[in-house]
Amino acid sequence: MKKIILQIVYCVIIRNFLKIFVGVKFDKANFLIENEQFIIVANHNSHLDTMAVMASIPHKIIHKVKPVAAKDYFGKTKLQEKFSNYFINTLLIKRASGIEKGGENPIRQMIKELDKGYSLIVFPEGTRGQPEVMQPLKKGIALVLLERPTIKFVPVFIYGMGKALPKGDGIILPFTSTLKFGVPEMIDPNSDKDKIILTIEHRLQELKDNSFADGI
Amino acid sequence: MEEIFRADYFHKNELLIVVAIILGLLIFATLLFAIIGIINPKAKLQELKARTKSWWVMASMFIVATLVNPKISYIAIAFLSFVAFRELYSLMGFRESDRKAIFWAFISIPIQYYLAFIGWYGAFIIFIPVIMFLFLPFRFVLKGETKGIIKSMASLQWILLLTVFGISHLAYLLSLPELPNFSSGGRGLLLFVVFLTEINDVMQFTWGKLFGKHKIIPKISPNKTWEGFIGGILSTTVIGYFLGFLTPLKGYELVLVSFMVAISGFIGDVVMSSIKRDIGVKDSGNLIPGHGGILDRIDSLVYTAPVFFHLVYYLAY
Repeated sequence: MKKIILQIVYCVIIRNFLKIFVGVKFDKANFLIENEQFIIVANHNSHLDTMAVMASIPHKIIHKVKPVAAKDYFGKTKLQEKFSNYFINTLLIKRASGIEKGGENPIRQMIKELDKGYSLIVFPEGTRGQPEVMQPLKKGIALVLLERPTIKFVPVFIYGMGKALPKGDGIILPFTSTLKFGVPEMIDPNSDKDKIILTIEHRLQELKDNSFADGI
Repeated sequence: MEEIFRADYFHKNELLIVVAIILGLLIFATLLFAIIGIINPKAKLQELKARTKSWWVMASMFIVATLVNPKISYIAIAFLSFVAFRELYSLMGFRESDRKAIFWAFISIPIQYYLAFIGWYGAFIIFIPVIMFLFLPFRFVLKGETKGIIKSMASLQWILLLTVFGISHLAYLLSLPELPNFSSGGRGLLLFVVFLTEINDVMQFTWGKLFGKHKIIPKISPNKTWEGFIGGILSTTVIGYFLGFLTPLKGYELVLVSFMVAISGFIGDVVMSSIKRDIGVKDSGNLIPGHGGILDRIDSLVYTAPVFFHLVYYLAY
């Protein structure tokens, strides 16, 4: 039942809303079906980012993918938490500031979901920031990849969402945007977290440069 | 079903003939390029094939628009404006503080098309050039961000004029009153101007490819030549004359209108090319993602629609 709801919500309603009204050009993502498990790593400028990445995922595997979101934002109340768990299928984690106050370690939480067979969507920039300005990436994703080195990461570059719905704005303005997939890649299990973060940053930058050069 | 479809083509031979011609030409072109591709795999056909594909899209859209209930046609043309507006403004690099004004520019699209739908000519013709022209700068001012405000005010108004005001004339064709002895009505006029505009593009392109030597404006469109321009105008005028049964015009009027459609189609094409060039150059040779969709398809229509409308409005209504 949840699978059908997620399929209708993302692959029909949100996908068409983003395509027809907002003007998002989705990259083909059928190659994701061939990878049993993956972690999508995307840049983050807007609330629409999570929606857009989810809507780009093939409907066959949509129920196996969980976006990782901040609990202090998406899970403010119990009801909100239930809602986002059911309709957005989120994995809510506490940000660094929340851990100090106690609570489950977000790295552990992500690994637990991976072990259950879920794929993840991660925005390692943490917060949304200025449109089209990339912030330094948080190290958490590298720690997860080091623990489960057989799972590939897939870089995703999103352009324009930060203009369609910037931080602190309540109105979605249509804006011709693009969502580009990079090539799935496994990390070197012997490297360290800083090197992995550097590789991911590099891949995102490459994807950005390529999509600007193609003009797509 | 009858409320949605207006399948009275079979009683209106003029429309049926033109639809048949359009589809025939498209099938002919598609087959021709496919066969050339098989015989000579090295032939550079990408551009031609891409063009044919976009003509298919345009032709199907407007044939369907003339076939269905006019209410749906208004919505379809409004959607065309919406997509064109979105695409053009996304390329222009507006400031974040411009969002409120852009929001109102979006709101003006359904209003403009509603005015076309109810056929209130006076309001339709002043809504964007007068009312929005006076209102939008005020919305910018309320935001209080003066750095770069001239560019934002000017570009937004200009995008609205191009993509909404210009294209909405196509919709108003459907609201024109009925004339005695002219049965195809607004739908005939719509079909006429869209078909002639597309034919003009094809003719300019073909003549240019065959005989093109002397460039007109090499800095903007290196492929545009005097030979293509003149050949295109002559053939478009002749074709327009023979398609005259779709319009209430007679004799010399028809020649004049077809000639003007040809000229303004050319101007629209090069004006849009220059814009793309500016946007491309501005970002040090890189195009912005999201570029190159509907704008390439409606570049000439942006000019031919209002020119054609006002000529016909003056001559026949």
